Amino acid sequence: MRSLQTKLVSGLMLSLIAVFTVLWFLINFSIQSLAEEYIASRLRHDAETLLGTIQFDKAGQLKLNQSSIDPIYNKPYSGHYFRISTANQIINSRSLWDQQLPLAAVVKAGEVKRHYEDGPDNQALLVISNGFIKHKRQLTISVAEDLNPVKSDIEQFQRRFAITAVALLLLLVILQVFILRYSLTPLARLRAELRSLQQGETRQLSTDSPTELQPLVNEINHLLKLMDQRLRRSRDALGDLAHAIKKPLTVMRQLTDKNKNKLPDDINTTLARQTNEIDLIADRILKRARLAGQSHAGEYFDFAKDLPDLLETLRLMYSDKAITPQLEMPDAIHYPIERQDMMELLGNLLDNAWKWAHQTVHIRIRMNDKLTICIEDDGPGVDASRLAQLTRRGARLDESIQGHGFGLAIVADMVEEYKGELSFGRSETLGGLKVDVTL
Amino acid sequence: MRLLLAEDDADLVAILKSDLQQAGYAVDVADNGVQAEFLGNEGLYDIIVLDLGLPQRNGIEVLQSWRHQGNRVPVIILTARNAWHERVDGFKAGADDYLGKPFHVEELLARLTALLHRASQQPGGALTAAGLTLDEEGQTVTTTDGQTHRLTGTEFRLLRYMLLHPGKILSKTELTDHIYDLDSDKDSNVIEVYIRRLRKLLGHERIETRRGQGYIFKVP
Repeated sequence: MRSLQTKLVSGLMLSLIAVFTVLWFLINFSIQSLAEEYIASRLRHDAETLLGTIQFDKAGQLKLNQSSIDPIYNKPYSGHYFRISTANQIINSRSLWDQQLPLAAVVKAGEVKRHYEDGPDNQALLVISNGFIKHKRQLTISVAEDLNPVKSDIEQFQRRFAITAVALLLLLVILQVFILRYSLTPLARLRAELRSLQQGETRQLSTDSPTELQPLVNEINHLLKLMDQRLRRSRDALGDLAHAIKKPLTVMRQLTDKNKNKLPDDINTTLARQTNEIDLIADRILKRARLAGQSHAGEYFDFAKDLPDLLETLRLMYSDKAITPQLEMPDAIHYPIERQDMMELLGNLLDNAWKWAHQTVHIRIRMNDKLTICIEDDGPGVDASRLAQLTRRGARLDESIQGHGFGLAIVADMVEEYKGELSFGRSETLGGLKVDVTL
Repeated sequence: MRLLLAEDDADLVAILKSDLQQAGYAVDVADNGVQAEFLGNEGLYDIIVLDLGLPQRNGIEVLQSWRHQGNRVPVIILTARNAWHERVDGFKAGADDYLGKPFHVEELLARLTALLHRASQQPGGALTAAGLTLDEEGQTVTTTDGQTHRLTGTEFRLLRYMLLHPGKILSKTELTDHIYDLDSDKDSNVIEVYIRRLRKLLGHERIETRRGQGYIFKVP
């Protein structure tokens, strides 16, 4: 989708170009016709003046009183010409010199005809032919003027007009870009806010936005709140469900433990195994269902605060083991991942490491465009042949490998939910299991 | 050892109580958060097993309130909500250990023993003092001459309490409080009978009588 600004500017440019083009044609047409009309009316006047100077002698020959003729008609190729014709006589203006006005038609008395002709010296002539009757004789007076000087004036005007129009167009477009930029600043701010929302720096959009955007902002805020509430509600419900299932399971486990000798062996083992199975399945499904995923709801994991808490928890849980965690982590990590999800992910990975480690667990967290977590321990590790089994998706719960299985299965579920990568290997420095997670 | 079991599921309480009693604990039960908070502050208990999903007041709040009042009694959390963030929150509230439901009683007992040893700064493994070794699972004592003696329930509880508090004056009332639960008939004179029996097993000089004050388990 193109940017709103480009769209608006190009739309404005097109409409301005259309307006200026129409204006151009309109003005050109008006100026041309005005100039012609002006010239034509002057030519009619000249024709009438000429008519006044016409005399007929006794033989019926037409005579012109040269002294009262405008001198421009005597200057050769001056651009102003006339021709007076009767039934048997033609008088041309001196300005025509040896040329002829290529006119033949006789115009009836009282009629005026206008036409364009090529004149001498590449002149473009406007010719007005008038029909008169003087002393009962039919005569046609054609007066012509060269249009070229007017045309060049008009062309000059057109050039100036074009330059002014283009300059105005550019000015308007630039002005419009500024106006747009200014009025689109709330959009740019909204975009910045959405980015910080995505990165987990804010939880809500600020409500101070123009009226056009207000409904959108309100709706987004409403949805965020709704998502938050829904996640919390479903997690609470799942917690209650876990609680409700675990209580009877605990009683059942105590009963099978206690009645080892009273019940037939096979019944007891089956019961114990089934109870265990229900427990593991419920745990895995509940944990998967609790995942917030990349929904940007809930509270984000604070590496500086939550990770030390988690390490302290592990220290207390494994108080019989003296494990030294080596933590390698940049000072400031901002990665938008939901707190409970990250606790679960790291908790399971670290629990597994603590379970097998002898003394040392190495934790390395790196942040470039992705978050990478690498956890190594100095425990026995997992055989190369079985490493592949660890990553296999949907591996059955009872196939858990050397006790590594269950927690890591949950981690695999989570990494899949976050569309990340999970791989296992042997630690080169510590010799135990090495787990790499990329989110 | 006197233990407070704060758990609201009657079936589980019935089973756990008998298991814990067999393991030598004097067990009192609180089936709601308010009662648990009150009993926990009595100063009677050596250890508390706290379920987080208690009615009336949830376990985390109860634990926070104890810690807030300076009550440092060892607490092991028992909960069905075993997500990691809940564990972290549990430890942050002041828990000493954490056990997710469902669990095996053996694991609970092992954790209780470990926690009690830790609370009285005893090294891990079997409880030993002045050449005596107390087997807390089998409830037997091995004396300096290498002989192993079976102990009765009360003898075991009394000896364990003394071994966990060596060199301290223990009054009869304190001993009764930590050996018997609320429902027992408490006759502090009975303590004298058990002290006499322990002296017979371990040697008279091991337990000194301070007139008007109580007894001291002596370690050389």
